[in-house]
This record gives sequence, structure tokens and C-alpha cells, in this order.
Amino acid sequence: MASYLSIIVLLPIAALVARGLSIGVATHGWGAAFWHWRVHVDLGAFWSAVTQPAAISAIRLSLWLSLCVAAINAVMGVAIAWVLVRDRFFGKWAIEALIDLPFALPTIVVGVVLLSLYGMASPLGINLFETWMGLMVALLFVTLPFSVRAVQPVLASLDGEAEAAATSLGAGGLRTFVSVVLPSLWPAVLGGFGLAFARAVGEFGSISLIAGGLGRTTTASAYIYSLTQGFLWTSAAAVSTALLLVSLVILVFSNVLARRVQRRLAP
Amino acid sequence: MSISLSHLTKRYGPHTVVDDVSVEIASGSLTAVLGPSGSGKSTLLKLIGGLETLDGGRVVIEGDDVTHVDPRHRDIGFCFQHYAPFRHMTVAKNVAFGLKVRKRPKDEIKRKVDDLLELVKLEHKAESYPAQLSGGERQRMALARALAIQPRVLLLDEPFGALDAMVRTELRHWVKELHREIRVTTILVTHDQDEAMEVADQLLIMHKGRIEQTGSPTDLYQRPSTPFVHEFLGPTTVFKGEVVRPHDLALLAPGHGVIDGTVASITDLGFEVQVTVLLSDGSTPWVQLSRNEFDRLRLQVESPVSMRERDRRLETGSALTRATQLRR
Amino acid sequence: MSHSTRRWLLRVVVIAYLGALVGLPVVFLFGKALGHGLSAFVTQVTQPSAVAALKLSAEVALIAVPLNTLVGIGAALLLARRSFVGNRALTTAFDVPVAVSPIIIGIALVLAYSRIGWFGGWLSANGIRILFSPAGIVLATMAVSLPYVLRSVLPVLVEVGREQEQAARTLGAGGLRIFWQVTLPAIRWGVLYGVTLTIARTLGEFGAVLVVSGNISGRTQTLPIYIYDSWDQSYNTLGAFAGALVLATISIVALVILSALRSRERRLHVDFT
Repeated sequence: MASYLSIIVLLPIAALVARGLSIGVATHGWGAAFWHWRVHVDLGAFWSAVTQPAAISAIRLSLWLSLCVAAINAVMGVAIAWVLVRDRFFGKWAIEALIDLPFALPTIVVGVVLLSLYGMASPLGINLFETWMGLMVALLFVTLPFSVRAVQPVLASLDGEAEAAATSLGAGGLRTFVSVVLPSLWPAVLGGFGLAFARAVGEFGSISLIAGGLGRTTTASAYIYSLTQGFLWTSAAAVSTALLLVSLVILVFSNVLARRVQRRLAP
Repeated sequence: MSISLSHLTKRYGPHTVVDDVSVEIASGSLTAVLGPSGSGKSTLLKLIGGLETLDGGRVVIEGDDVTHVDPRHRDIGFCFQHYAPFRHMTVAKNVAFGLKVRKRPKDEIKRKVDDLLELVKLEHKAESYPAQLSGGERQRMALARALAIQPRVLLLDEPFGALDAMVRTELRHWVKELHREIRVTTILVTHDQDEAMEVADQLLIMHKGRIEQTGSPTDLYQRPSTPFVHEFLGPTTVFKGEVVRPHDLALLAPGHGVIDGTVASITDLGFEVQVTVLLSDGSTPWVQLSRNEFDRLRLQVESPVSMRERDRRLETGSALTRATQLRR
Repeated sequence: MSHSTRRWLLRVVVIAYLGALVGLPVVFLFGKALGHGLSAFVTQVTQPSAVAALKLSAEVALIAVPLNTLVGIGAALLLARRSFVGNRALTTAFDVPVAVSPIIIGIALVLAYSRIGWFGGWLSANGIRILFSPAGIVLATMAVSLPYVLRSVLPVLVEVGREQEQAARTLGAGGLRIFWQVTLPAIRWGVLYGVTLTIARTLGEFGAVLVVSGNISGRTQTLPIYIYDSWDQSYNTLGAFAGALVLATISIVALVILSALRSRERRLHVDFT
């Protein structure tokens, strides 16, 4: 088990980080001299790869886009979950079915589909090819289930008693929502936000076509991929390591935040 | 002796759940391990069954030291609190499982399963799945499954805990009958005194991982050796500095008892009445009176009364039957 | 704004958003792929390079899915039935492949197992070629579809509890018999759920495979790479649509299976990450 995991995941990640940070181990040969080994870390190479203007702008674009996408997702996720849980109308099942589709659909299929509808030959006259809007639409597509599916069960578990109490105290609908419902949804919303953000930062397939080849629409993953096309493995590893760190920080942060909110809400 | 436990000890981290328990259980007896939740009684059962690992001590079943024997070779029938039915197998397949493991011939298995299902009155449910059974039926299926392997010992973990009141009483009687019929050494774990006293011929009271007292139900009820057992087996009150049962106190006309007082409060439960008395020594014991007794005494709050302990030798009915009646 | 106006407004916004983002594109895909008639679609799908891609994707799935299923069930049993130091670390480690960009997974595999990687020298000295070969694609696919069986099985296993297994043990059953006759039947819907997720993910993986495969037309092309190649390199949009339709159909079938399984086993969640 552990060795399977190591072979297909852990060792490769270790190799990536070692390459990215230029960590090397030097020995004076084998035998007794083997024990006189030294570890080199050459942060210079890492730093210069990560601070390339193209690298900076790609990472910046990814972070910025992912933040927007995760935020829009959080808002729309609550709205969609609300409609799914509280509203009732003919054809609601179709919405329920649409929610999971982005997860099951292979990312390259998403790319092809979106580009044919919102690309240069758009039948709707909307051309998002090589625009950040195009990237945003693709990312919103692939991250759609995260917020909805995080919020939906929590919303369904609210029995409406607190809401009824708020309404009976004279609170209006919006006020009831903001002061009674929203607080219980926060942990789920934050959890969904974190997941959507992490997914958006790493996303490649769905945006690889719509991004085209322009510098201003090159995201971090696309930039890393382009480095591998030029066989710049060390730079690719360095930027990957930086991206890994960023995702890690964001995931830990949103987890801690969600847990803290949860604790405050616990009765 | 069928089961002999010596110095059984089980720890979970810093907590000693079963603490140096030694006890002998007679062949063919029906023993109830009784205690409040967290007293270690379920763990004790699992230690006997080998489902938990021991931190110390020895388990001997019919002369065989099974301390280091895997549960699959212990020949015990274990019934779980929630019955643990194999949900994907029919009732008949559930009962046949142990026999199939033992590679018995097909026709023997069939005959035995039929017999067992008849014994537990589930003949008509043989091809049903556990999900289609009621709680009581599932319990009986679990018993049949455990009995199929002709165990040397039958272990029942809170056998009636998950059933509703009606089924519970019915099944209790049935288990007692069943035991009378097949006489397999049985240990059942329960937190319910009535259940234990009604079903078992031996009681084993556990408290904080230790055994407080063992003996027959009547013994324990009438001669509890520790305050815990006394309190656990029925209601108590304090009369002249001693812990006594409220129905062991009698109210009489003023001057006829040991100590006088006045009625402080009356709680009428219909078939019985609880009367709290403020005695001249300042204490306030309560007395449990039958309807008849209470009506005869015509008591009201502030009525002057006198109190004494009943003379047990004059009582003809068994304290045990009364205790179970009172608890209902 | 009255209560019912707000309700209507929210409903319309949600339907419009989902329609424009998901519904319309998917309907459009069917139109595009089948727009030139069924025979044109069939011609595209039966092209030698398309067939080769389909075949490779199927082969990769045939290796990766059973392996990941075995490992997933094993890990779930380990996590649910034994308490040991580091079980949280193990759970987290299983989630790494889906929390990280597939491009990064691909590069990590290259840096571990290609000629330029840690073990490349040793591997090539022994005549094993992992990168730019089907073996590399299998490895990358296994990595990105690793956690699904574990995640689907673990909650079911915890819910089922160990009492059935213990009961079987007291009845004399050994470990293997308990697994096949008691544990596996109890978790079968969870396993099927995880396997369905793994298949969907396996057939659709793009980024990690793109990095490790080297992309030689016909030889190391999986279906997603074939679609990418048709669209971006050979400008065969109809071919891309046809391939996309095949994959989309598979994923829709997978979704239907998943939702049927969810209604059978309430412990199964939509846990897509």
C-alpha cells in the first residue's frame, strides 16, 4: 500500500521538489566515504525561475482568476443550492443532473465544447478566445459542483425553525437569510471556496484550448507545460514547487478558517 | 465449572475498563452481567469471546485455556447488541453460515437450519432478508445463527436493548424458556435490573470495571454486600442512618412504631403510593405503600404517624417478585 | 420586492446561469458532432488514429482501474479496521493527486522515472522505459485516479461497522472467507461507485498524460490527447467533436450509474474533487 502510494505519488513529488529547489546530495564516493555526504540547496535557480516576468505574470493570472472564480462560485453555489433545496418547479431534476456533469466531463471535452460555442466561430457571436473571460468561463464550468455540493446538504439539514422564529420576530426575508441562514452556511461556503480555488489554480485541460498562445492568457499550469515543451525541466519544477506551496497555503488556510467558524457556531 | 475467568484486565489508554476480574460460571447456568453503562460489562463479554485482546488474565472454557485462541476456534455463540445480521444473505443462509464454514454435508446443513428456524419460530421467514424482519425476529435469527455451531457458551450482548417494551418482555420469557430447553451455558450483558433478575439464575454486578457481587437474584436483592449493589438493584432511602428499601418500612398509628413524625408529602402513583415522612430526628425517609395499605391508613399531609422496619420473616411473598413489580 | 418575485428571480438567474455555462455547451456538442449526419460521425470515430486512441485509452483503463481498486479497498480496510500511527497522513497522501495540478503530477513522474529523473538511470540500465511510452501513461493515469475507490469505500466501511465481520469470526470463518462473503458484499455499492468514478477519471485524464506521453500521433495518444491534437494541431474539428462526444457519452452514462448507486446506498456522497 505505502509502497504503491510512494511509487506513483510521493516519490515523484519529492523528485519534483528536489529538482525545483535544486536539492542535491554529494558524496565522496561509496563505502566509508559515503557517510561524508553533503546536501546542497541552490535556491538561486529556484528564485530566478520563479521571478521570470513570464512566470510572475502567469502565477499572478492564475491566482487572480482562481480567486474570482472561487468567489463567483461561492455566491452562485449558495443560489443554486437554495433553488435545489427550497424551490420546487417542473424540470428541477434537470438542474440537479447538470450540476455533476462538469465533474464527469473530461477537461479537454470541456475545452472543445466551450471553444466551439464561445470561440472565434461562435454561433452566438461571443468570442472569448484568448481572453481572460474565456478562461474564467472554463474555470467556472469545471468548479461548478464544489460550492453547490458543499452547501446543499447543510442547507437541507436546516429545519427552518430558526428562520420561522426570525420571521415571527418581524425580520424580512433578506434579513432572515443574512442573519439566520448564512451564518450556518459559512463553513460549507468556505470549504467549497477552498476546493474550487485549488482546482482552478491547477486546472489545465479545459483552458488549454481557449487560452490560445498569448502571454496575457497563459496561466501557471500552461506556463509550466510550455517550459516542459522547451525541455526546461528545472524551471518547470521550480515553478511547480512554487505553485504547490501556494495551493498548500490556501488549502490549509481555508480549512483552518472553516474549522474556526464551525467551532464558533457549534452549540 | 464451564467458564473460569482469572484476573482479566483490559485497558484503553489510561482507562482500565476491566480491572482484575476473576469469576467462575457454572455449566448450564444463565448468568446476567449487570451494571451501569461504562461499567465494563460489554468489554468483559468481548474478552470472553476473544473479540478484544486481553491485557492480562486467563480465560478457560470447559477446561480448555482459550486465552490465546482466535475467536473462530473458541466455539462460542456471540449475539451482538444490534444482531450483526449478514444483510445480503437470507435468514436461512445466515443460520447456515457457521455450518458451511465447518464444511458439513449439504443435507445435514439443511436439516439443522430447518430445526433451528423452527426452534426460534422463524420457519416462515427462511427466505426473507434481515431487512424484512422485525427487531425481535432479527434477534431470534441471530440466536439461531449462534446456536447452529453448537457452541459451548452463548454470549448475548444487551440482547433486548434495541427492542420496544412489548417485544422485550415477550422475548425475555422466550429466552428463559429456550435456555431451559437447551441448557447451554449462557452469559448475557444488560444494564436493566428487571431484565437481569427475571431472566438469569446468576447475577454478576459490575461497577467501574470490577465485580461488586455475584449470586442469585434473591440473594443479591436481599443481601447486597455493597452500597452500590444496594442502590443499583432497587430504590433506597435512609432510616435511622441505615440504607433500606422503601417498601421495607412500615407506617403505623403514632406511638406504635420506633420513631414518630408527620407526613411531609404524598406522591400517588395509583397502584402504589410514596409517602415522605418528617421524623422527630429531623430525617425524611420515604415509604412505599400498596394502595390498600395507604387507603387503610387514611393519611394526609401533616398526619401524625410512627415508623418502623417491617419484619422480613413475617413477609410471605418473595422480595424479588415485589421488586420486579415495583419497578414496572 | 415580494417573496414570490424574489423566488422567481432567483429561479430564473440560476436556470440562465446553468443553461449558459453547462446546458447549452453540452447540447451544442451533440449538435456539432452529429450535425453532419451519423455516417460522418462513424467515419470520424473509425479512423485508424481515432481507433488507436480509443484502444489505448481502454487498455490504460484496464490496467489502472483494477490496480487502483485493489489498492483503494486495501487502504480503506486498513484505515477503517486498524488503528495505527499516521493514518491521517495516509488519508492526506491519497488525496495529493487530485489536489495538485495534473501538469505537476506529470512533471513529477518525469523527474522521478524518465532518463533525466531520479531512477531513470537504473530503469534504463534494466531496459525499462516508462516515460514517453504506454507504461508512463498508465502510471500518470493511476496517479490522478488514485483516491476515488478509497473515498467511496471508506465511509461505507465505517458505517457498516465490524460486527458482521466479528460475528463471522465467532462462527469460525477465516480472514479470506470473511472478506469475500461478508465484507465485500456489504461494501459492494461503495466499491462500484468508486470504480465508476475511477473509470470516468481514467478515460478523461489529459494534463498528466500529455506531459508524460510525448504525443506521437497514433502511438501514445489516448482519446483526450487525440481530441486535443485533432483540434489544435491538425484542425480536424469534426474529429475532435466526434471524440469528445464519445467521451461525453461515457461520462453521462457514468453519472447515471453514480446517481443510481447513491439512491441505493445513502452513505455515498457526491464527493468530487
